[in-house]
Amino acid sequence: MNEKKKILLVDDDLDLLEQNKILIESKGYEVITANSAKEGWEIFKKTKPDACVIDLIMEEYDSGFVLCHRIKKDEHGKNIPVFILTSATYDTGFKFGASTSEEKEWINADELINKPVVIDEFVQKLENYFELNQRK
Amino acid sequence: MQNAKPKILVVDDEKGLRIGVQRLLEMEGYEVDVAENGKEGIELGTKNDYDIAIIDLKMPDIEGIEVLINIKQKFPNTVCFIATAFASYDTAIEATKLGAQSYIPKPFTPEELITEIKNGYQKRQLLLEEEKWRKEREERLLEVAFEKTRLNTIINSITDGVLVVNKEGLAVLFNPAVYKFLEFSEIKVEEYILDKLRPEILELINKFLLSDSKEKRSYTIQLEVKPNSEFFIEATASPVFHPGDNLAGVVIVFKDITELKKIELIKSQFVSMVSHELKAPIAAVYGFLKLMIDENIKLNEEQKKDYIQRSMVRLDGLLKMVNDLLDISRMELKTVRREIRKICLTEIIKNILDLFQVEIQKSNITVNFNYQQNSFCIDADADEITRLFTNLISNAIKYNSPSGNITISINQTGNFLVTEIKDTGIGMKEEEKKKLFSEFFRAKNEFTKNISGTGLGLSIVKRIVDSYSGKIEVESEYGIGTTFRIYLPLSVN
Repeated sequence: MNEKKKILLVDDDLDLLEQNKILIESKGYEVITANSAKEGWEIFKKTKPDACVIDLIMEEYDSGFVLCHRIKKDEHGKNIPVFILTSATYDTGFKFGASTSEEKEWINADELINKPVVIDEFVQKLENYFELNQRK
Repeated sequence: MQNAKPKILVVDDEKGLRIGVQRLLEMEGYEVDVAENGKEGIELGTKNDYDIAIIDLKMPDIEGIEVLINIKQKFPNTVCFIATAFASYDTAIEATKLGAQSYIPKPFTPEELITEIKNGYQKRQLLLEEEKWRKEREERLLEVAFEKTRLNTIINSITDGVLVVNKEGLAVLFNPAVYKFLEFSEIKVEEYILDKLRPEILELINKFLLSDSKEKRSYTIQLEVKPNSEFFIEATASPVFHPGDNLAGVVIVFKDITELKKIELIKSQFVSMVSHELKAPIAAVYGFLKLMIDENIKLNEEQKKDYIQRSMVRLDGLLKMVNDLLDISRMELKTVRREIRKICLTEIIKNILDLFQVEIQKSNITVNFNYQQNSFCIDADADEITRLFTNLISNAIKYNSPSGNITISINQTGNFLVTEIKDTGIGMKEEEKKKLFSEFFRAKNEFTKNISGTGLGLSIVKRIVDSYSGKIEVESEYGIGTTFRIYLPLSVN
């Protein structure tokens, strides 16, 4: 890697935000954090990161969805990988998730990452997207 | 002849004949009463239910026919003979039409009379028998009719739908409530109904109709009739057997279980919310521990200490949440053992404020506690009331602005004590106010990010207030402050 890729991490749980920041940084990335969807959007516009990782359930239950949607509609955002981070799946009884193709389309995220983050898997997925984008 | 002597009334104005007949019949074993004129005849004949009456047609005061009519009206089973010398075909016909057994022409021989009386007595026995039988039959019919209306009344009063289908698939019995559960609005008795029912219900019925099983079990299904949980029904089909154990038909009972399903849904949503809320602190602590043992990650001592402290804060929060959940569960199950006694609100609030002294000073909050008298008392469990006001005062501190104020006052309004807790904190938006008392709701905005809480405090407050038939009022302005007003019934003493 020539220069560090910039990853935007959005989570309203400050502890998890810091832990994931350290984990991702340990793999050689630069991590910028935001602890609300609102802040996430502002930082996204300002920093134009290479990838976004967004927690699904924040202040409002759908703010992760909404932020993801906005980023994917953005001129810069539509070309970068956006991952949704969540522990809310059908397994835990939530009425929404990202397991069906229809939902994935609606959510508009590239990947759905379960909590807690398994860092090696996460990096693998991320690198796949970077490689794919490079070939384009 | 039976045990009791047959009773005979003789009505005749001719003394000789009267006494002669009396003697004759008494010798034959009859009990005889005599009347010497029509008036007396009517009197006796309508007073006693005679087996037989012999009535002279021509009497000076009242005609025999009149006596006959009166007796027959009162006792239709008294066998009446009309006796007279002035026999004519017309009077005989008239007498029999009016209910006389027959006509005895005067003069008659003792043998003639005895024969007539014997026949008359037999007739009397038949009449009595017939009467008895008719009465029984009437009673039975009445009973059956009563049973039938009673059964109908009961079935029609049931709010569950009831439908009985016979072996041929004809509707034989149903109540008005059943229409709510079917797609069509009219059933005719004896109408073929199977092709009109929902396939799922038909399948249920066919489990009995299409099998020879003599099993006396029933089958139940639950159906979502209208989408989005708007209307859920439960149908239970049970076989109806003839006395000989042959299948007579199937009875289907329909129940509206929409409310039940709604509660089920709320319950499962609550469980998912609880698990999600419990998972968050666990994930945080797990994450810190994992970081600390990760050989690829270098942490300095200060960082490690920080992470341990933050883990402890999360675990503390987890513990509080579990305790709150247990409290809620106990309140829901009504297993809280309450010790209701007269407690003094001012006392309780003073104690709570003492406990929060450190937090109050730390946030530099000014507390004003106003009350008119010390003896504001309610009948309640001290622990519950302490819990109630602890949660509210804790919120007033947590969500206050730095160097803010808390004003607490107690006043009496009617039969209620009104405790007002007013803060100068962050306040709430309209939509937040609506969700205030629901579990795990916490106002989340830039002010509250760093405030910890279980999201259960106000839910517990509401449950406690409700359980004392009290009331909560909330006034709030975003960024200005919030006022809670708690109404609790005044002690009866």
